[in-house]
Amino acid sequence: MPKRSFLGCSVPLVVGVLLVFLALFLVSLLSGALGKSLLGDIGLPGWLSVPQPHPELPAGVVFHLLGFPITNSIIAAWLSIIILVGIFYAATRRVKLVPTRLQIMLESALGWLLNLCQEVAGEENGRRFFPVVATIFLFVITNAWLSLLPGFGSILITNAEGETVHLLRGANTDINLPLALALISFIFVEYWGIRSLGGRRYLRKFVNVGQFFRSMGQLVRGRLRAGLSGMFTGVIDIFVGMLEALSELVRIISFTFRLFGNMTAGEILLLIVAFLVPWVLVLPFYGLELLVGFVQALIFSGLTLVFATIAVTHHEAETA
Amino acid sequence: METEAIRMLAAGLAMGLGAIGPGIGIGILGYGAMQALGRNPEARGPIMTNMILAIAFAEAIGIYALIVAILIAGKILG
Repeated sequence: MPKRSFLGCSVPLVVGVLLVFLALFLVSLLSGALGKSLLGDIGLPGWLSVPQPHPELPAGVVFHLLGFPITNSIIAAWLSIIILVGIFYAATRRVKLVPTRLQIMLESALGWLLNLCQEVAGEENGRRFFPVVATIFLFVITNAWLSLLPGFGSILITNAEGETVHLLRGANTDINLPLALALISFIFVEYWGIRSLGGRRYLRKFVNVGQFFRSMGQLVRGRLRAGLSGMFTGVIDIFVGMLEALSELVRIISFTFRLFGNMTAGEILLLIVAFLVPWVLVLPFYGLELLVGFVQALIFSGLTLVFATIAVTHHEAETA
Repeated sequence: METEAIRMLAAGLAMGLGAIGPGIGIGILGYGAMQALGRNPEARGPIMTNMILAIAFAEAIGIYALIVAILIAGKILG
């Protein structure tokens, strides 16, 4: 009779692991804030409890470099840049026809991103948008996942002014980085639109006065009814153009707050759950954070892609 | 009422009321996606991609409410 196994492990091993988890969970229930408020202070050692989290929104300054304050989120962003550049350099140092495992991994990730770009934007536009979209995706996901490692938010350091700040903090939780990425995405979308359609034709989407002046010309020439109805449509066109321009600008703000809000909320959630029940209960929330990091990276780069595609397609209705 | 009490109330109301809209919106999106998937299981890729995209838009509104709640409760605003 074959031995029963769960996921390849024998039954005693699984039962043992489950018992260890249960013991850890019970100990953390008793020592965390939840247990303390329900049962009172039993007298478990102090190192089992997590201090109450004080989430602060502005990032703490670690040191000053040439007059610029270097905050802990900047250090985290540098770390993810170093990791990304290092991994890609190591994989492409000697590109082989029969690839190594690292090369396979990175090639499949980039191939998936290129596929996404080409699916949404078409063959050649997809290839054109791919560098910026893929960079945004990889940077955001590296920042998000890196901030889940131990060391982020727990190493304390005293800076020059004597305050204790954390050494590392998730780069996406500082509002400046999502703002910078949103501005980059905005600039690139406008650049691609102007490049594809020509400056005047692209900006005509926002300053839509053609119909208005045409109808004024009709009025002057004596065709009252056509002129008046044309003028009415012209005014609506101008208004719609202004709304389009406004929505382009509001897009920057919505990109920023979407990424910043998701990441900060996730960080605060993890801190609070770790404060309540330190050990086993945090695991599902870590899984949630992994998922949220991936989805937010996908959303940021995917929305950039979609808006770029909209910006470079000809407005067939106008050119009738 | 004292300022602290109103502050806590404001933060709770901001997040709570602000989560109603996105919740309903995402539910409606999921409903539409399920219907489309049921009618045409082969179009699973595009349906899922567009659904996730639209859900991100709806969720961003909920995140705005969360940010306002954090700002009020953390005494950064008002």
